[in-house]
Amino acid sequence: MALKLVGSFPVQPDRVWCAAPHPHLPLVATASTDRAVRIFSLRDFSLVSTIEGGHKRSIRSISWKPNAKGESVLATGSFDSSTGIWHRDEHGSRDDREQSLELNSEERDENEEWRFAVVLDGHDSEVKSVAWSSGGSFLATCSRDKTVWIWEDMGNENYETIAVLQDHSQDVKMVAWHPEEELLASSSYDDTVRLYKEDTDDWVCCAVLTGHTSTVWSISFEKNGHQSRLVSASDDQTARVWHRKPKAESENPSMQPPSIIKGTADETENWEEQSCLPKVHDRTIYSVDWSKKTGLIATAGGDGQIVLYKEVDNKKDPPNTGLEPSKQWKIVAQVPAAHGVYEINSVTWCPKWDKKGTTVDGELLLSTGDDGIVNIFEFIL
Amino acid sequence: MSDIINANPTILNPSDLPTRHSESRKKQSSSAHIADKISRLPTSKSLLYDPFSSSPGEDSAYSSGSGSDQDGDDEDETAAEDIDEQEIYDLISTISDPEHPLSLGELAVINLPHIHVTHTPPTPQNPHPMSHVLVEITPTINHCSLATVIGLGVRVRLEQALPPRFRIDVRIREGTHQSTDQVNKQLNDKERVAAACENETLMGVLSNMLATCK
Repeated sequence: MALKLVGSFPVQPDRVWCAAPHPHLPLVATASTDRAVRIFSLRDFSLVSTIEGGHKRSIRSISWKPNAKGESVLATGSFDSSTGIWHRDEHGSRDDREQSLELNSEERDENEEWRFAVVLDGHDSEVKSVAWSSGGSFLATCSRDKTVWIWEDMGNENYETIAVLQDHSQDVKMVAWHPEEELLASSSYDDTVRLYKEDTDDWVCCAVLTGHTSTVWSISFEKNGHQSRLVSASDDQTARVWHRKPKAESENPSMQPPSIIKGTADETENWEEQSCLPKVHDRTIYSVDWSKKTGLIATAGGDGQIVLYKEVDNKKDPPNTGLEPSKQWKIVAQVPAAHGVYEINSVTWCPKWDKKGTTVDGELLLSTGDDGIVNIFEFIL
Repeated sequence: MSDIINANPTILNPSDLPTRHSESRKKQSSSAHIADKISRLPTSKSLLYDPFSSSPGEDSAYSSGSGSDQDGDDEDETAAEDIDEQEIYDLISTISDPEHPLSLGELAVINLPHIHVTHTPPTPQNPHPMSHVLVEITPTINHCSLATVIGLGVRVRLEQALPPRFRIDVRIREGTHQSTDQVNKQLNDKERVAAACENETLMGVLSNMLATCK
């Protein structure tokens, strides 16, 4: 099993912070220090458009809105403290998409009209991460100002601030939504991960994940219908898997104090550390992504390595105990110097496309580095 | 910055500062070789800049799995050997203190024994030689609020001057500052350093500090 380099996009001469695949088109957007967003085609790995002029400082983070009808919508978070929302019409409904993709690249370029629609102001300092909820109705942003904001898309390019969460005591590095529930996670320079959900009318912190001994740079949820898990990656050079304990496992409800005293929402969900991934990174881990398709976890960081982990049955278990076999995480691929001598800032799983623009079997892993390049890897069994 | 934080710092005599001249380097084969090295001390960034690691062409060659970059290997490994503690010292000891008209070397904020350089040779798994530098800073007084700015100046200077194969750690020397951990965490947070470098006010202060670097 190996990760094979299948292509790369040269973005710009300086650091590329991250790359985000489009929710249903063969496109990927990059965020970089030159204040521009670039969009590349995943059919032929060519540059499709460059969007400039919206931000005054580096673009740190980028997120495509899922379920946007008839258009593509991007959110960008910048060191200039603002969040930008960009729109582009998608030539009719999604059913016409096949047809629009038949256009040759010149025609496509002419139709690429990105519009800087809205600036979301509110954060006092650099915006570090932006993320749309899976349904597309909420946008979460976080900042060095220690807050996490949730914005609701009210339609017609109106966004309303519905929550300003001030639970972290330091710089908030990343926000990520659960793939199926309206559950938000944030990770911070204060070494914790926090989870939030809506409780009657207010968004509240419902769990605090402690265990990392330094900045938690990145988080990613698992997509698995029957249980909820999250992986986190840190400056402490570890990546940890956390799971939500089912209600049945928690204490007898009658033993709990009456709800009026319970007060702190921190206790409404019970999350705990399940396992620590095998330790192989020897510098900060900047990024982790849990594949929603294969269940593989990828990490990358300051040591320039990309590492893939797979959950397997624990062979040390005595057979036939009648219990469900225990699991453990195993390294299945490791690429040192994946960006030459440079550090890696992000890894992101992404569907694989053929030249006609149809998804095919397999999955790609995109990595972005301080060398200004996006590398595209494929996991070969 | 109108109030001077440490009005009376200890100052070293410039002639006592470590240089290649005073250093007894028994390993060196001949004085001619030393003289040659001195003449190659960093007068400009380009001397230190390692073409092997910095050329974008090289990277794409690696990325596509081609071995076309083999020619320059010997020379580059020699270049890697050249960057030692003294050379790092020369790069950063000439940075000016933000509040005194003196260099960080003269104020003993930067000290040669507190600089550690390690080189990792290429391995079959990783064809790239990698390098690491750890610089420990001694603030002039243990509550110096400028420790972060000084540390940032050192980091920015090294990031600009060293080839990209270097991983840089800048720390406050244990026991010399009351909030060592806090300052260290900030100085080694890549994102915060990157954002600070886009802050014009801060960059104005830093460029004054770095203006005295040779």
